[in-house]
Amino acid sequence: MAIGSILSVRNLHRDFGGVQALKGVDLEVARGSITGLIGPNGSGKTTFFQVVSGMDRQATGEVIFDGAPILGLKPYEIYHRGLARTFQLSRVFPQLSVLENLIVAAHRKDRGARSRALELLARVRLEDYAEVLGSDLSYGQQKLVEFLRVLMSEPSMILLDEPAAGVNPTLRQTLWDMVRHLNGLGTTFVIIEHNMEVIADLCREVYVLSEGGIIARGDFAAVRSDERVLEAYFGRARQ
Amino acid sequence: MSVRQLAVAAALVAAAAALPLVASEYHQSFMLQLFMMVALAQAWNLISGMTGYVSFGHAAFFGIGAYAGALLLQYGFPWWLAVVKGALIAAAVSAPIGLLTLRLRGPYFAIAMLGLNEVARIVATLWVDLTRGGSGISLSPALLPGLSVNYYTMLLLAIAATALVAWIHRGRFGLELRAIREDEGAAEMVGVNTVRNKLSAFVLSAAIPGAVGAVFVMYTSYLNPSSAFAASLNIQMIVMVMFGGTGTVWGPVLGAGIVMLVREFLWAQFPALHLALLGAMLLVVVLFLPGGVMSVFARRKRMRPEVITRESR
Repeated sequence: MAIGSILSVRNLHRDFGGVQALKGVDLEVARGSITGLIGPNGSGKTTFFQVVSGMDRQATGEVIFDGAPILGLKPYEIYHRGLARTFQLSRVFPQLSVLENLIVAAHRKDRGARSRALELLARVRLEDYAEVLGSDLSYGQQKLVEFLRVLMSEPSMILLDEPAAGVNPTLRQTLWDMVRHLNGLGTTFVIIEHNMEVIADLCREVYVLSEGGIIARGDFAAVRSDERVLEAYFGRARQ
Repeated sequence: MSVRQLAVAAALVAAAAALPLVASEYHQSFMLQLFMMVALAQAWNLISGMTGYVSFGHAAFFGIGAYAGALLLQYGFPWWLAVVKGALIAAAVSAPIGLLTLRLRGPYFAIAMLGLNEVARIVATLWVDLTRGGSGISLSPALLPGLSVNYYTMLLLAIAATALVAWIHRGRFGLELRAIREDEGAAEMVGVNTVRNKLSAFVLSAAIPGAVGAVFVMYTSYLNPSSAFAASLNIQMIVMVMFGGTGTVWGPVLGAGIVMLVREFLWAQFPALHLALLGAMLLVVVLFLPGGVMSVFARRKRMRPEVITRESR
């Protein structure tokens, strides 16, 4: 594990029958950074999140988070160690109120969960929706609530899987502002995002996945001009 | 629970407690069965209403409690200890069963539980040395407490089951159970230990029918495998909870109360048609109030702020 890394992934493999979704992925995430994970559809980005977050425990390799191996741990164990994630498609609890959606994600012994949930809702101007059911929110609001939900445990690292997909521009801006704010306070992020302007704007380092393997890493400018990346996205190298 | 709800609950309990002073044996028996259904519906609500794991086999724990109670009474245990042990034995049996079956989801869990009830019935039928098989166990009246003891014990169980569900519902444990019901994967992803929570709810939900079964056998003084593990009992629990409101505290109480009263009324007035009429009534509720009767009370509280503003103009 490199000095200053919060997440270190070595030789990560995940097969689905004959399909190799991850082929020996190596990845380092610096503590306090915002790292981008990009790649064409089907390149293995979400599978990578599934494995690192413990949702998929069939992978082989090594995943070190905060100095301890976490591969094979259950999702709730990883969550309580400080690594949280959101989903590509919103998964708020539809028949729980917005407030309950947040409180359930706090640590069990957290006595201030309710007041912090209300604070978080106020920060994104959703405090009037505290008693509304998750299913009654707009899709963008659901995505935002899902993001707030993982903040309840004050994680040291958050994996965001296309957090802005389907979110209107106003709420999207609110979301990115919160990411910047939390990053300023020390929270580490890894973001899967298809909007390259956002990646360029937020991420210090970018990894590119293609067909289950990392094909490029570096700052966005370097990655953008990498021939392998262009080939992965457009099918052939630019002349 | 609000002050108003507490006041209503206290008034209902006081009325139920005073009833044996004025009511006939028939009315006491009816109320005893009503309390029994409240307790059983709450037990089913605890696992199936709160976690979404629909059990078609909770009558198995009722039967286990009933047999445990009957045998312990025959071995000379006092009635109250037979009730306590009925609950504990049902809970102990449920733990390994829960560990195995709660890995299954949706219809697979439901079918596994249905199978459990059937297996329990067959075991009770074939284990003649212990249960006397299909001949059943008749308990000597000398071993049994009177109707009023059974009445108050069943009332106490209904209150205890409702209080337990209310306490769980308002606490962190209940919130985690409801999150599991909504999306088990997402719940685990926000720190909920789903295996521990489901198993705890399952064991608690088995202890209640265990105790109820022990009291029921003291009331009927006779038990055989068909009456102990009756599939219809599973259906009644489910129907009453769905009628009142799945996953709520008062839904099972309302559901058991309304269904039992209406069924009794229909049976007296239209003996040939009472089941058809009851079925039609349940169909109407399921179609127009899928959240049960309780959903009427909960609806406005959950409205989006802009809808409330628009409606109050």
